[in-house]
Amino acid sequence: MAENSVPRRVALKVLGATLGAGVFAQALAPLKQFTEGMSLQGFLQKHYKELSPRELREVLRRLEEETEQRYGAEVTIRDLRPTPGVQFAYALNLSVCIGCRRCVEACHHENNHDRASHNSYIRVLEMEQGSLDLERGDANYDHAVPAPGKFYLPVQCQQCENPPCVRVCPVEATWQESDGIVVVDYNWCIGCRYCEAACPYHARRFNWRAPEVPAREINPDQAYLSNRIRPQGVMEKCTFCLHRTREGRMPACLEACPTGARVFGNVLDPSSEIRWVLEHKRVFVLKEELGTRPRFFYFFDE
Amino acid sequence: MARGLQTDAAVVRPETPRWTLALGAWLLGCAPGAPRNGDGAVHDASARFPVVVHRPPSLSSIEVDSDAGRVAIPCENCHSLFRENPPALPARVEELRGPHAGMRFAHGAVPCASCHERTDATRLHLATGEVLPMTEAMSLCRQCHGPQARDYDHGSHGGMRGYWDRSRGPRARNHCVDCHDPHAPHFPRFQPMPPPRDTAWLRSAPHG
Amino acid sequence: MNTESTTADAPTHHRSTYPRFLLRVLWESVDGSFGFYAWMGVLTAIALVGAHAWAGQNAWGMATTGLSDHVSWGLYIANFTFVVGLAAGGVMMVIPAYLYGDEDMHDVVIVGELLAIAAIVMAVGFIMVDLGRPDRFWHMLPGPGRLNFPNSVLTWDMVVLNGYLLLNLHVCGYLLYQRFLGRKPRHRWYVPMVMVSIVWAFSVHTVTAFLYAGLGGRPFWNSALLAPRFLASAFVTGPAFIVLSLRVSQRLLGLPVPDRAVDVLLKILRVTTLVNLFMLGSELFTEFYTGGSHTASTRYLYVGLHGHRELVPWSWTSVGLNVAAAVVLLTPALSARRWLLHLALAMTFAGVWIEKGMGLIVPGFIPSTLHELVPYAPSRNEWKVTWGVWALGLMVFTLSLRIAAAAAQGRFSLAQGTTPEKGGA
Repeated sequence: MAENSVPRRVALKVLGATLGAGVFAQALAPLKQFTEGMSLQGFLQKHYKELSPRELREVLRRLEEETEQRYGAEVTIRDLRPTPGVQFAYALNLSVCIGCRRCVEACHHENNHDRASHNSYIRVLEMEQGSLDLERGDANYDHAVPAPGKFYLPVQCQQCENPPCVRVCPVEATWQESDGIVVVDYNWCIGCRYCEAACPYHARRFNWRAPEVPAREINPDQAYLSNRIRPQGVMEKCTFCLHRTREGRMPACLEACPTGARVFGNVLDPSSEIRWVLEHKRVFVLKEELGTRPRFFYFFDE
Repeated sequence: MARGLQTDAAVVRPETPRWTLALGAWLLGCAPGAPRNGDGAVHDASARFPVVVHRPPSLSSIEVDSDAGRVAIPCENCHSLFRENPPALPARVEELRGPHAGMRFAHGAVPCASCHERTDATRLHLATGEVLPMTEAMSLCRQCHGPQARDYDHGSHGGMRGYWDRSRGPRARNHCVDCHDPHAPHFPRFQPMPPPRDTAWLRSAPHG
Repeated sequence: MNTESTTADAPTHHRSTYPRFLLRVLWESVDGSFGFYAWMGVLTAIALVGAHAWAGQNAWGMATTGLSDHVSWGLYIANFTFVVGLAAGGVMMVIPAYLYGDEDMHDVVIVGELLAIAAIVMAVGFIMVDLGRPDRFWHMLPGPGRLNFPNSVLTWDMVVLNGYLLLNLHVCGYLLYQRFLGRKPRHRWYVPMVMVSIVWAFSVHTVTAFLYAGLGGRPFWNSALLAPRFLASAFVTGPAFIVLSLRVSQRLLGLPVPDRAVDVLLKILRVTTLVNLFMLGSELFTEFYTGGSHTASTRYLYVGLHGHRELVPWSWTSVGLNVAAAVVLLTPALSARRWLLHLALAMTFAGVWIEKGMGLIVPGFIPSTLHELVPYAPSRNEWKVTWGVWALGLMVFTLSLRIAAAAAQGRFSLAQGTTPEKGGA
C-alpha cells in the first residue's frame, strides 16, 4: 500500500461525508412542505385538558386565522363543554330506515369533510332480511331503495361507555366526556391509528391527506372538538355533532332523516323521546358480546 | 316560526296546515330550514318552546305541465267554484271523472267515502262521523294507524328538525302527508345518495 | 471472559479513554475494504431513497401508502412485528451462553445482542414511519407528553422496546469497551443486565403480541395463542438469521465461529420450527372446523373470500417454505449439506416474514369490522420507506458486527489507537 494512502483515504472520507450530507438534505427536502404549514405555537401546543382558558382562547383564534389563510373562509371555532345532567343516547328505527343515505350526506357537509374522498362518519349497510350478520351486508349498494327483501343499517360512532379506542390511545388524545361523547384532540393525536384498529364499528377515520373543502361550502359553525377542519395525519370521528347538540340542537344526521328513523336526546331526562324508545321498544346494540356498551341503539317496530 | 313561551303540549297539534299531495316535497328540499335560535337563552327549565308540525306548502292531487315544469294545483282553485253545490263522491276511484280521472289509488280496500265527506270531497270525517277540515287530516290517519301515531307522538316516526332540548329552542315536525300520499301511502322507491368512494379515492391519490 | 477479574487494575482515566473508544468505533465504521464500501454504499443509497420517500409521505400525507380506513395498518406495522421478533430471537444465543454456561456460545453471544440492537432500531423506525404526525412524537415522552400508561399496550411496547435497546446497548458497549481497554469484564457490571434482558426479550415480543391480541373487535388477532405463536416464530427467525450472520461474518470479517455454537442454534431451530408449525396448525383447525363469520379473515388468507384471493398465494408460499425448511432441518442427510442448510434457514426466515408480517397484520383488517372487503397492496412509496428502514438496520448491524469481529481477533484495543490496521477487513 502506498505511503500516501492514509491521507488520501481521509480526504476521500471527508469528501464522501460532505457528499452524503448533501444528498441526505436533498432527500429530506419534501419535509419543508410539511413544516411550512406548521407554526411554532402549533408545534408546542399543549393537550386540550391542560390549556388554561386564556391559552385556549389564543388557540381558537390561531386556528380561525389558519382556516382563513388556508381555506379562505371566515369561521367561528368555539369550545363547547358538556352540560351537567346530560347524557346523550341515540336510537335508530330499522323498520323505518329506507337506506337513502341522506344522513351520510348531511354528515359530510355538516362536519366539513374532505370533498374528494366524500368522507362521512356514517356508513349504511344494506342487509338481508332475516339476518343481522354483517358479513352479508353491503355498503356499496347503488340502486333504488328500499330494495325488496332488504333492510338498512346505518353505522356510525356508537359512543361506547367502555370505548376500546380510548383505552388504546398511547397519548390520551381521545377521551370520553361527561355527556358520553368520545372526542379527539386533533392537535394532540400522533396518527398511530391504533384506535382505528381497536374500534369494532369502523367509526374512526384517518386524514390520509389534508382535507379539501371549497371556501363557500365550509360550515362556519365549528367547535374545537368536533367539526373544525382537521389537520393532515390525525384521527377523527363522529361527535354526535357536539357543536349543535351541546347547544340543545339535533345532530345533522337526524335532521336530514326523511323518515324519522333517528331518535336523539338526553337519556337522563325521563320525559325525553329517547327514554321512551329505550323503555318501550325492544332495542339492541351492535356487537354486544364485545362489552363496549354502546350509547347507540337499534330497534324494529313490532 | 312563532317563538314563544308556550306550555308544553303533550300531544302534537297540527297548526292549520294546508294540504299537499306533492309527495316528498320535503324530500326534494322544498321544506323551510330548521328553526335556529342562536340567541335564545332560556334558562327557565319549565319553559318550553313549541313543537310545530310542518305546514305542507300547497295541496293538490292534480299536477299539470307548465313552462316551469310540473305544477301542483291547489284544491281551492276549482272547489271554491262549486262550494254551494259540491259534486257527489263516486263509490270507487275508477269512477272519478274530470281533472281527477285516472288518479292512482293504493290505500288498501278503502272506499273514498271512508275518509272524504260524501257530499264535499274537500272535507274529511272520522269513523264516528265527526266532520274534519283537511287541516285535521292527522287525526284521521291516526284512527287506523295507531302504532305509527303512537311512535310519532314519541318522536320515533316522522322526520323532525330543531332542538332536542326544548327549553332552548323549538322543534319542527313533518306532517303525515309530507312523506305519505294519502291515496298511495306506501313510501316510493327512489335512488339513494351515492355510495361511499373513500377507497376508490385513495387508490387514485397521487404519489401512490 | 466469564471469570471474575481479580487483577487489581490500575485506575483508568475513563474521561480520556472513553472518547478514544468512541473514536475507534467511528473509525472502524468508516474504514474498510472495497467490498465494505460497496456494501455500505448500497445500503446508504437505499436508506436515502427511503428517507426521501418518507419525507414525501409527510409532505403529501399517508395517501401515498396503499392504506385506507379499512386496512389502516400494513407493510410498516407488519415489518415492525417481524423485527421485534428478530430482536427477541437474539436471546436464543444468550440463554445457552449465560444460563447453561455454554463456553462456545459465549464467544459469539455478542452477535445475538448486536442483532437485538439493530432490530430494535428498525422497530422504532417502522413505528416512526407509520405515524401520521411524527412531529408530535414528543407527546409520547413522559414529562412533556401524556403517556397513557398503563392503559395503552402501545405505551408498554414503547417502554419494553426502549428498555431492551438500553439493556443490550449497555451490555455490548460495556463488553467492547473492556476489550478495548484490554481488561476482563466484571460480572457485576453486565451479567445482571444479561439476566434481565433474557426475561425482557420474552416481554418484548409478548407485549407486541398483546398489541393485537387485546383488540376484541378483531377476531383474527383476539386469540390467546397469539403471544406464544409470536415467541415460537421469533425463536425461528432469530437463530436462523444469527446462523447466517455468523457464517457471513466468519467468511468476510474473520470472526472465529465455533461449530458447536452453530450446532446449539440448529438444535434450538429444530424444535422451534416444529412448535411454530404446530401452533399454526392448531389455529387453522380451530378456525376452519368452527366456521362462521369470525373465521372470515382466515378464510381470506388461505382460501380466498368472496372472490378475493390476494393473499392466498403468499400464505401457501409461507407454509411451503416453513415446512420445507423443517424437513431439511430434521433430516440429518439433508442438513449435513451446508448449502442446503443455509437455504433452509433463508427459507424459514422468508416464510415467517410472510406469515407474521403481511399474513398477520393485513388479514386483521380484511374483512373490516363492518365486514367490508377492501384489499390492500403496499404502494411503491411504502416499499421504498420499508427498504430504507431495513437498510438502516443492516447498516447498524454491519458496523457493530465489524467491531465485534475486530474485538474477537484482538484488533480492537487501546494499544492500537486509531490507526487503521494493515490489510483491513
